[in-house]
Amino acid sequence: MEKSLYEIFKVFFKIGTLLLGGGYVILPIMQSELIEKRGWIDNDELCEYMALSQSLPGLIAANLSIFVGYKLKRTMGAITAIFGMVLPAFLFIVVLAKILEELINLRFIQGIFWGVGIGVLVLIYLAIKEIWSKSIKGRFTFWVFFIVFLCSLCLKISPAILIILAILTGVIRQFILNRNKTEVKE
Amino acid sequence: MIYLQLFLEFFHIGLFSFGGGYATIPFLYHIAETRHWYTAKQLTDMIAVASITPGPVGVNVATFAGFTTSGVLGSVIATASVVLPSLIIVIIVSILLKQFEDNEYVKSIIYCLKPAGCGLLAAVGVNMFLNEFSLIGLGLFIILFVMSIKKKHDPLVYLGISAIIGLIIYLVNSNM
Repeated sequence: MEKSLYEIFKVFFKIGTLLLGGGYVILPIMQSELIEKRGWIDNDELCEYMALSQSLPGLIAANLSIFVGYKLKRTMGAITAIFGMVLPAFLFIVVLAKILEELINLRFIQGIFWGVGIGVLVLIYLAIKEIWSKSIKGRFTFWVFFIVFLCSLCLKISPAILIILAILTGVIRQFILNRNKTEVKE
Repeated sequence: MIYLQLFLEFFHIGLFSFGGGYATIPFLYHIAETRHWYTAKQLTDMIAVASITPGPVGVNVATFAGFTTSGVLGSVIATASVVLPSLIIVIIVSILLKQFEDNEYVKSIIYCLKPAGCGLLAAVGVNMFLNEFSLIGLGLFIILFVMSIKKKHDPLVYLGISAIIGLIIYLVNSNM
């Protein structure tokens, strides 16, 4: 399927519009729009981009959009994707900036906020389920998952530190694998 | 030079906030204290607004701060500045990855990063769940969860249903 810049813009504008309740919802929305409906990327790639987006500075939703945009059509694709993703957020705030405070104080809107918050949780749960099968392959990766999960949830260790430790783990793992290989040869 | 200040402050956030989403919030409070572009109270409201408006919190607040200080041009500059570091860094990383995709160390790092990313996401999910915990919330979660077992629906279906149920619960509560 031909992916013109206009088409990339359209999809990311839609993703940006659906991005309610914080950046993490982008994951289930991308699974639906990019993988299931269009087949532009696969779950394995999305999982890799998500892990890298969390490891790099910047907003995760922005990083993820740029990774996918670059994959689809290099630098122009990346610029188009981030532009499309940010535009709905931008327009919404500029149009509503003057009445934002009154808007928040409307009680029925808070009822909707609350409901959407629960919907977002379900979406995040579904996204984790799908990413799980692409990232946890055997005992070693399960322990990486479990330790990061506990350190982040219970010890409140910063994601940046956990990501750096994961990178070091990857390097050490390969080092040990290589050493074992040479030992076998000898 | 308000435009230059907006550029520098939001470029700084884009460059130094790791872990996304809520990692930007301390920076945003710091700006409220030092620059007076918005008050801490306005920021708290903005974070609430960001959860129903499209887009990440960081983008929403950047647009808002730019707009309140210097109109539409200010909001364009602030919004572009907050994503510019991402654009530069991610493109460089994409190029490097392509070049070294067969390197075994790069492969091993990604092999470890994937479950780590999954773990971070799971922690965010559990935290959000604990923060918003209520019996009605749990009920709604279970309904949507059961819906998803038979067939995975479009994300819009879940958001739409949960928004409508939230509205209904509010209306029922306010009439009692």
